[in-house]
Amino acid sequence: MVKIQYQFKRSTPLRFLSHLDQQRLFQRAFRRANMPVEYSQGFNPHPRMSFALAMSVGLTSDGEYGEVIVSEDIDVETFISRMNKVLPNGLEIVSANICGEGVGSLSAALSKSVYRIRIKVIPETDLAALAEAIQSYLALPQILIQKRNKKGKYVEKDIRPFIESIAVFADPGTDKVNIKMTLIYIEQQCVKPEQILESINNQNSAVFLIDPTIEIHREKLLITADA
Amino acid sequence: MNNYIEKNILPLVTKPITYLGNEVNAVHKIPSPEMIRFAFAFPDTYEVGMSHLGMKILYGLLNEEKDIWCERVFAPWVDMEEQLRRHDLPLYGLESMMPLNDYDFVGFTLQYEMSFSNILNMLELGKITLRSAQRKEAEPFVIAGGPCAYNPEPLSDFIDIFVIGEAEEVILKIMATHREWKKTGGARQDFLKMAAAIEGVYVPAFYAVSYDETTGVITAFAPVIEEAPATIRKQFIEDLDQAYFPDKIVVSYTETVHDRISYEIFRGCGRGCRFCQAGMIYRPTREKTVPTIQSKIKALIAATGYDEVSLSSLSTGDYSEIETLIKNLVCDAESGKVSISLPSLRIDSLSIEMLEEIQKVRKAGLTLAPEAGTQRMRDVINKGVTEENLMDTVKTAFEKGWGHVKLYFMIGLPGETLADIEGIADLGQKVVDEYYKIDRESRNKSLKVVLSASSFVPKPFTPFQWMGQNTPEEFKNKQRHLKASIKDRKISYSWHDSGVSFLEAVFARGDRRLGLVLEKAHQKGCRFDGWGEYFDLQKWTEAFVEAGIDPDFYALRNRDYDEILPWDFIDTGVTKKFLKAEAQKAEAAVTTPFCPESCSNCGIMEFKKGWKCNG
Ligand code: SF4
Repeated sequence: MVKIQYQFKRSTPLRFLSHLDQQRLFQRAFRRANMPVEYSQGFNPHPRMSFALAMSVGLTSDGEYGEVIVSEDIDVETFISRMNKVLPNGLEIVSANICGEGVGSLSAALSKSVYRIRIKVIPETDLAALAEAIQSYLALPQILIQKRNKKGKYVEKDIRPFIESIAVFADPGTDKVNIKMTLIYIEQQCVKPEQILESINNQNSAVFLIDPTIEIHREKLLITADA
Repeated sequence: MNNYIEKNILPLVTKPITYLGNEVNAVHKIPSPEMIRFAFAFPDTYEVGMSHLGMKILYGLLNEEKDIWCERVFAPWVDMEEQLRRHDLPLYGLESMMPLNDYDFVGFTLQYEMSFSNILNMLELGKITLRSAQRKEAEPFVIAGGPCAYNPEPLSDFIDIFVIGEAEEVILKIMATHREWKKTGGARQDFLKMAAAIEGVYVPAFYAVSYDETTGVITAFAPVIEEAPATIRKQFIEDLDQAYFPDKIVVSYTETVHDRISYEIFRGCGRGCRFCQAGMIYRPTREKTVPTIQSKIKALIAATGYDEVSLSSLSTGDYSEIETLIKNLVCDAESGKVSISLPSLRIDSLSIEMLEEIQKVRKAGLTLAPEAGTQRMRDVINKGVTEENLMDTVKTAFEKGWGHVKLYFMIGLPGETLADIEGIADLGQKVVDEYYKIDRESRNKSLKVVLSASSFVPKPFTPFQWMGQNTPEEFKNKQRHLKASIKDRKISYSWHDSGVSFLEAVFARGDRRLGLVLEKAHQKGCRFDGWGEYFDLQKWTEAFVEAGIDPDFYALRNRDYDEILPWDFIDTGVTKKFLKAEAQKAEAAVTTPFCPESCSNCGIMEFKKGWKCNG
């Protein structure tokens, strides 16, 4: 039995996959690639595979991680080339690692996410003023947002510790701006970039027009070295 | 357009991934001016359409031809429709995202009457002129086939060309004709004439109908041009084993209604249930061989990565070598963790043995279809199943640990009395009693019996094609009576709205005059009539009134045997004489044997020279 951890990219053609769609897709891709995937025991056996993170609909990414357990030894190159041959345009495995049995799960090793975002702003927003607003936002010692907990009740959550940096850039000739944002994982928890943008809107007068046409791209997902 | 839709429209709708046409095994070609562009249109949602086998066969078949690009289009869900309308964007074929009105052909598959309004809506969204007669030279030819094409008349105002019967061979003839026609530089009308001469093709514009002014029944139906035959012969493929079946099928990203490989092991059915249109129109029975099935399924799994295969047919257990087939498939499947499912099983204990074999672990619900509650009624409809069969089956199932049984029935069958309705409840009770006879240790801990009753819709080309449907009032009373007859708390009961069944009955046996109703209903916004939440009987009622058409004439009226029926010009091979004899046997509750046991001379052997049923 071998555990394979792999890094993959998801680009525009498949950005609308839901987490479940993507799971199904990989499951079928493993089968098409003739990968000897291990199955769980029990009444309803399912393939032993998982992703470090659930990707939300619309997200593109250069850095996603997945793992799968196969029953036969396989070398990294064969794994990558066989998988890329069967994966549809829009998903690509960029690297892989054969790990020992004892290696921990990927989700426990998440450290930071770097995002690039393209979003509409209120017409005639001044870029310098926006940059300033973000600076003063980042200067806040604490940023409380309302969050639903598991029981469905609203609780307050301080999201400041999850933010490492936010920078804003022009998107000439459009009604949009580009944002670069680095977010931190604390005990496998993080915040969604949309939530941060919304809280910036709430702190100041609204600047961002947050609607489903927002483009979010994960440039990097950093994991701690011990994974 | 592609980029605009991807960026600005799809993020706003549910299941955006279903509007991109980039699934695994979707066919993409580089278009050329000579290429025939074909949009295969399924008039229901993506999830429903992608579960449909016929579409996969024709998609593969057409795309085998280098100079044809067949793409797919489904009825956009209401949120997508709203966005398309708001942005004034046309409905498009998924693979190339080309507007529908730019195709050479838009081909609809007609699976159920309740999707007819979606056809009009899709044409409109695709910016294609609704009425065939008004379509301009450069517009696509709108073509249609499938089971509902056996009575094409209600759609005849909107469809240029119907294919009657199995389309695999005819469609290629139509394509060849189109190539010829293109070379001649002829007019639209010329192509339609050429198409009308192909066997199995019906071009409604070339036929005239007259009606009796007082009674409203048809007095004459005849072609108006020489090329069009007076009778349209349905087409069927004699050698199903060698018939085309794709090695690859498109794999949806989202979950579809039947999210698995569906592989047809035989066509047709020799049981002769009298309510069943499929059982009559798909005659004769033709099987694929075990090796063909095994090797095709293997190839399909390798090409798709699916982990479930369902063996489809009208009555899977009737496949002549079913036991060998299942043994072999289970063997093949073990290694790759692929599961097999058997829909459409008949009621016998052999079926349970088979289910045992394939479902080693899960004891999900068991679904059986006795169809009627009393033996007399089952004889009337020629459902060759006895109460003993049913009890044996449930006994075996309970012994093997099943606990959830669902029984399907129809109400409103010909000659039905309240005693037959009570019989449904009795049968449910007997199933419950059977459970308690099983030793407490070996039976499932929980028992649930569900009785489901639907309203019977008489269909063309069945022995019941002449009978009036029960009125909505009669249906309600029978449902109420059934509900009151159920005494045991272990039995639950579900029933279907008779408003939809009524409309279905109107269109199933309708004629050309319904085109106006359809158009008016479409203008009022009717669509997705098969989806409870969008079905609006009120709007339909208004449409009938405005069109000056009485729906009862179609749904509720008993026809005389010698009346000219709107679909009489189609020859399915099963003779009207046979259907009439069956109707009379039904009245006397006399049954007709299963084809392999004894041939009842339905006409199919005379229809196709050289064809022999039963080897
Ligand atoms: S000809 Fe006879 S055996 Fe063949 S389908 Fe008809 S009734 Fe059945």
